[in-house]
Amino acid sequence: MSLTNMNKVVEGIAGLRGVFVTLMPDCLLFDSWIRGTSDWIAEDIAAYFGDLVRSNREGLKSIESWAADMQVTIESADTLVVLRELEGGLVASMIFDREIPMGMVRLNVKRLLARLKVALPSIQLEERPRAERLLEFLERYAPDPHAVRMRVALQTGISLDVLTRPESLSEAQADDIEESVKSILGLDSLTY
Amino acid sequence: MKDLLDLWSRLPEQELSFLGDAPVIYHCHHFNLFLDQTVDDALGPKRGPQVRFAAARDASYQLLDSLMQANGAQTPAERMAIAESTFAAMGHGRLSIGASGGSGKAIGEHLHYGRAWSEKYGASVRRRHPADTFAAGYTAAAAEVAAGLPRESVLANEDRCIAMRAPRCEFSLTPGEQAELRPDVGVQATLAALGDLKPEPGLHEPTIGAITETLRSFLAGVRGDQHGLVQNFGVYITLHLASYYNRITYDTISQVLSTAPKMIDVLESLFRESGHVCVFNTFGGILMSPEWEGAIGDLKEDPEEIVAACLGIARALNFGRWTLREYVPGERLVIDTPSTYECPYYITRHGTSSRPSCYFLQGAALAIMQLAERVKWTARPALTQDYYNQLFRGGAHWKVEQTRCRTLGHDRCEVVVSRP
Repeated sequence: MSLTNMNKVVEGIAGLRGVFVTLMPDCLLFDSWIRGTSDWIAEDIAAYFGDLVRSNREGLKSIESWAADMQVTIESADTLVVLRELEGGLVASMIFDREIPMGMVRLNVKRLLARLKVALPSIQLEERPRAERLLEFLERYAPDPHAVRMRVALQTGISLDVLTRPESLSEAQADDIEESVKSILGLDSLTY
Repeated sequence: MKDLLDLWSRLPEQELSFLGDAPVIYHCHHFNLFLDQTVDDALGPKRGPQVRFAAARDASYQLLDSLMQANGAQTPAERMAIAESTFAAMGHGRLSIGASGGSGKAIGEHLHYGRAWSEKYGASVRRRHPADTFAAGYTAAAAEVAAGLPRESVLANEDRCIAMRAPRCEFSLTPGEQAELRPDVGVQATLAALGDLKPEPGLHEPTIGAITETLRSFLAGVRGDQHGLVQNFGVYITLHLASYYNRITYDTISQVLSTAPKMIDVLESLFRESGHVCVFNTFGGILMSPEWEGAIGDLKEDPEEIVAACLGIARALNFGRWTLREYVPGERLVIDTPSTYECPYYITRHGTSSRPSCYFLQGAALAIMQLAERVKWTARPALTQDYYNQLFRGGAHWKVEQTRCRTLGHDRCEVVVSRP
């Protein structure tokens, strides 16, 4: 069931294929709307685009060019994707048919954002344990997700049983997990 | 130089094979990459490659030394040419080794590990360490054998690797201190370890035997292509050295048992997973190949047919005389074998064990049950990473237990797959 009245939010927006609201910093799906029938998995889309917005924010900060109202536009073969940070730790991902003119897309994005601002409830953010976010990040991007917790256990010496209760892990253990995640993904740093 | 087939021997009752004096098996890139990765996960990015290099050099020396004797190769140039061509014929890529007195350089083109890693993981993961430690060990052994240097005295380091986006792999060779030598596990040691146990026929024996012979005939003609690679059934295939796999597995088990015993269950699970991913992809690829359709026929939606076919494939790949003892659809699978390719090594070098040791057999049996019970063969699904993740991310549908093992003193190795 939709938490927001998404059907009302998207009413009359031409060429819209989907809207996904991601709750940050955990990249969890807050709400979504998808046109017609589709194989899209809303949870995955919300997580990947949430990560993308976070990486974009960190990248812009590193060149001292970040502003709260930044917007990411992606032009793919058959879609045009617009990502936008909202107030209250949310990210909106709006996906349009590729043939919709850019001017029309901008106008529709503006209308959508105005409606979302009214429709979305205010949220009290509660950050989840770092280890939990790290493991979820890893499982989203690791090539062998079914085996990846065992790999972390082996690399860190933290038992699988303990890894299933990440809220019980200390900061030092979370540090070890972060090193393991970087090693498995071949990354120098993580934004999660 | 003699063809590989002329240097091949087999223990038919055990379904184990040897190239020269070295036990050999066919394994795919999924297995090779996952096993190496597990060793490094357990031992770390420094110690892991050291263990793998030592194993590669050890096993390769045994192979090359016996091949030089069989070929009557005398000069260093003759010997090096045999080493390079054997490497390519086995599907490991092309090596060009320039070494004298244990020093020198080697160039690797299209090396199996680096190339397969790049194709499987390169788009999503950046590799921080070279991938071709097996080629490094082989290169060091070739330098030793070619120049008549003491065994396990040459070091080789992979300086550049295609898995790290280099255009080709480069190795430097230097003389080192001779490592501790271990007893070879060749034909005689295998016979001594296994005794003269006669195999007992199991279910569907004629079908399994016929599949083995058909597939073995096909594999007999398989050699590395112009790049020294073998691509069949949707995987890269290598003819590989059993002692390499066994040494890295059991050395890692020993180290983890002594330094972090609480982690042994996780390590064993990951070793099982390397067998699981291998059998799922390679056996699945063989079953859906045009070669299979031409030689054996169309697959039906019959789980028992799939189980029997998998055992025939396993024998043809030299994994051992895997025999079907019991199959209850949807419930239970029992496979046994007079030996796996793992046991002769363990018994020769470690003696008896306190725990079942055939990790590949365990993972493979689990995968055979998955192939039989969960894959819709008539729909011919693509055996992609996504499909694999989709099937196995949700948790275990089956569990496997090794109930007998030669390393425990039993008369055979036996695994039972059942519901968790």
